[in-house]
Amino acid sequence: MMDFGLSEGQEMLRASAADFLRTECPKSRVRELEEDDRGYDPGLWHKIAEEMGWMGLVLPEKYGGVGGDFMDLAILLEEMGRNIVPGPFFSTVVLCALPILKYGTDEQKERFLPKVASGEQIWSLALTEASATYEASGIELRASLEQEGYLLTGIKFLVPYAHVADHLLVVARTSEAREGVSIFLVDGKSPGIKIEVIPTMARDKMCEVNFNKVRVSKDNILGKIDQGWDIVDFILQRAIVLKCAEVLGACEAVMQMTNTYVKDRVQFDRPIGSYQALQHRMVDRFIDVEGLRYLVYKAAWEVSTGSASSLHISMAKAKANEVYQRTCIDCIKNHGAIGFTADQDIGLYYRRVKTAEFSLGDSDFHRERVAVGLGL
Amino acid sequence: MEFKFSEKEEKLRGDIRKFAKEELPPDWIGLGLTEESRDEDWEYAMSIAKKLSQRGWLTMAWPKEYGGRGASPWEQLVYNEEVGYWGIPGTMMGASGVAWVGPSLILFGSEEQKRKYLPIIASGEPDGVWCTGYSEPDAGSDFANIQCRAVKKGGKYVINGQKIWTSCAHRAKWCWLAARTKFNIDKKHHGISLFIVDMKSPGITVNPLMNYAGHHIFNEVFFDDVRVPASNLVGEEGRGWYHLMQALVHERGGTAPMGVGSLRRLLDELVQYVKETQHEGKPLSQNPIIRQKLADRAIELETLRMFACETTWKMSQGVIVVYEPSRDKAFGSQALERLAITGTEILGAYSQVDPDSRWAKIKGSIQHIYLLFPGASIAGGTDDIERNIIGQFRLGLPRSY
Repeated sequence: MMDFGLSEGQEMLRASAADFLRTECPKSRVRELEEDDRGYDPGLWHKIAEEMGWMGLVLPEKYGGVGGDFMDLAILLEEMGRNIVPGPFFSTVVLCALPILKYGTDEQKERFLPKVASGEQIWSLALTEASATYEASGIELRASLEQEGYLLTGIKFLVPYAHVADHLLVVARTSEAREGVSIFLVDGKSPGIKIEVIPTMARDKMCEVNFNKVRVSKDNILGKIDQGWDIVDFILQRAIVLKCAEVLGACEAVMQMTNTYVKDRVQFDRPIGSYQALQHRMVDRFIDVEGLRYLVYKAAWEVSTGSASSLHISMAKAKANEVYQRTCIDCIKNHGAIGFTADQDIGLYYRRVKTAEFSLGDSDFHRERVAVGLGL
Repeated sequence: MEFKFSEKEEKLRGDIRKFAKEELPPDWIGLGLTEESRDEDWEYAMSIAKKLSQRGWLTMAWPKEYGGRGASPWEQLVYNEEVGYWGIPGTMMGASGVAWVGPSLILFGSEEQKRKYLPIIASGEPDGVWCTGYSEPDAGSDFANIQCRAVKKGGKYVINGQKIWTSCAHRAKWCWLAARTKFNIDKKHHGISLFIVDMKSPGITVNPLMNYAGHHIFNEVFFDDVRVPASNLVGEEGRGWYHLMQALVHERGGTAPMGVGSLRRLLDELVQYVKETQHEGKPLSQNPIIRQKLADRAIELETLRMFACETTWKMSQGVIVVYEPSRDKAFGSQALERLAITGTEILGAYSQVDPDSRWAKIKGSIQHIYLLFPGASIAGGTDDIERNIIGQFRLGLPRSY
């Protein structure tokens, strides 16, 4: 039987996350961090790790975590997305800790995961390159075998928060086969790494990372050599769903602030939200966001229960891309001129649309995967 | 959270599939057919209604003592989805009786009314066919503006007025009628009452209204001094508006799962068609534009399916749903419209041929749906009225009209 309800534990997690972020990460802080070189707040980062235990939310207790499940993480990211919390949480926990937990050796897990859980280490995934797509053919960065290890040479593009990362998961080509890639655990301070922050519309910290003969030992391979694309698939499945959860939270925030505004703002002696041109636009976007919510929850539940469906995951991402953009645009219009100002929060969300849209597969990419899922 | 159906529900799904395979013609696609238009189609639909009744499916969610079998809202959802998918005729018997008259009587009918009317509907007999008298020439979206009058004289109400867009009036034994019992009052949605009217009563005239597809679905119905026993008043006199809003929730709530089934079938048929149809030596299924469009339609379908399930979940939890059925209906008619249009674009020039002609593809289903969808977006509350409901009752925005 279907059940759309949250458990008591999930409700508590949502409420505590919402309370914490409301006080600890107000929009004034988000604006400051847009101008900050690090792009995150180390004080907040440590509170999140130590007081809230979020870094270890889905890590087992033996690695310093609390053993939650994937659905918990989805609920948390919905709340983080609602508050557009800046920082390397997504890259550390979602893009790196999850695959290390799944594919790492016992030694690798013991070496890294407790430091993720405690907030001591920041991680990021160096996956995309100049093509900026999520096809294996886009991986050109090469790892060549030397006597005692590998040498990594090439350029990664759009690596989130690489400039503050202690470690990187690097996807590198190790064979000529299309999916002949391997994943390396690389110290971010290794000689031969050069990092440049790319200025973006969202003022988040996307980096270009240049690898010039960066040496990595053989015991720092994650999983099996030449079989890294399976791990990339694993990461993408989970990261896509959680990115959608973030987008969902962001859309809910935009709807909420706009709904309040159109009730308060009076023109022609009436609240503008009473006019059907605006009201129906609100309703259409509301329906969109409701639809997104259930596609995301279903995809997340399926991942959480070990029955992940790439069809449902791609449906959720294609929908999230479309809904986030449409919601922001229509809600700015419903604000009128004030929606265009720096003082209003809505612009913060609008400037993050393209990051979300092109992270982890754009709409065409995911619609094509849906078409495959339909048997086309 | 949980997003899968139970074994019991899946078994029911299987049983209905089996029924469709055994009872319907082998190449049957019943999408968008208007069964009440032609006599032979109507008789066929009613013969299937009888069989559905014999299986206990026709009114499965009703209590046992009134001809149902107390099925859960989830079984009802699965049933609606499957009958939509297989295009099983006769499932609604003209819609009113099965879809909202029955559920309304269960909610606020007298015990006598329940015992008299519910079992006839549940039996799948022609005497259980109803029509609904809501709309009037000057009371469409502004339904509370109805002028049809019911005046109490002795033990009877005397009814005078006109109804319009009355679907199935030419097939119905009964009319579920809204009429005004109080006049010259401040709030026009006060003073409306609901009645059960025998369509054979003296003074009733039914005039056909043909739709642009050439089908006879709806009618004008005139009431000229029609006498109705006082015991045929349903619920409280003057509270018809509130009863009716509850009934409308049923009308809107049940259509989403059936829409999910029909859309799923249309999509499956189109997927099959583009795989089998060649263009310049390649199947249409390799055309990236077609792949993208069908993917979008599939996402809309999945969204509608989640809406239908969420509404059912709330109802199963005892929540009084208010805006949810409006959401489902507004989104569902949009999804239907887009799928129909995508279908015509895939069929290309073949989408203009008569659905019954030998040139028609996919048995004319796309044309049937293309002709039908504008009507579907209006029936039971236009999409814009649904948006008003959501705006007011969910978003808390003031009304401007």
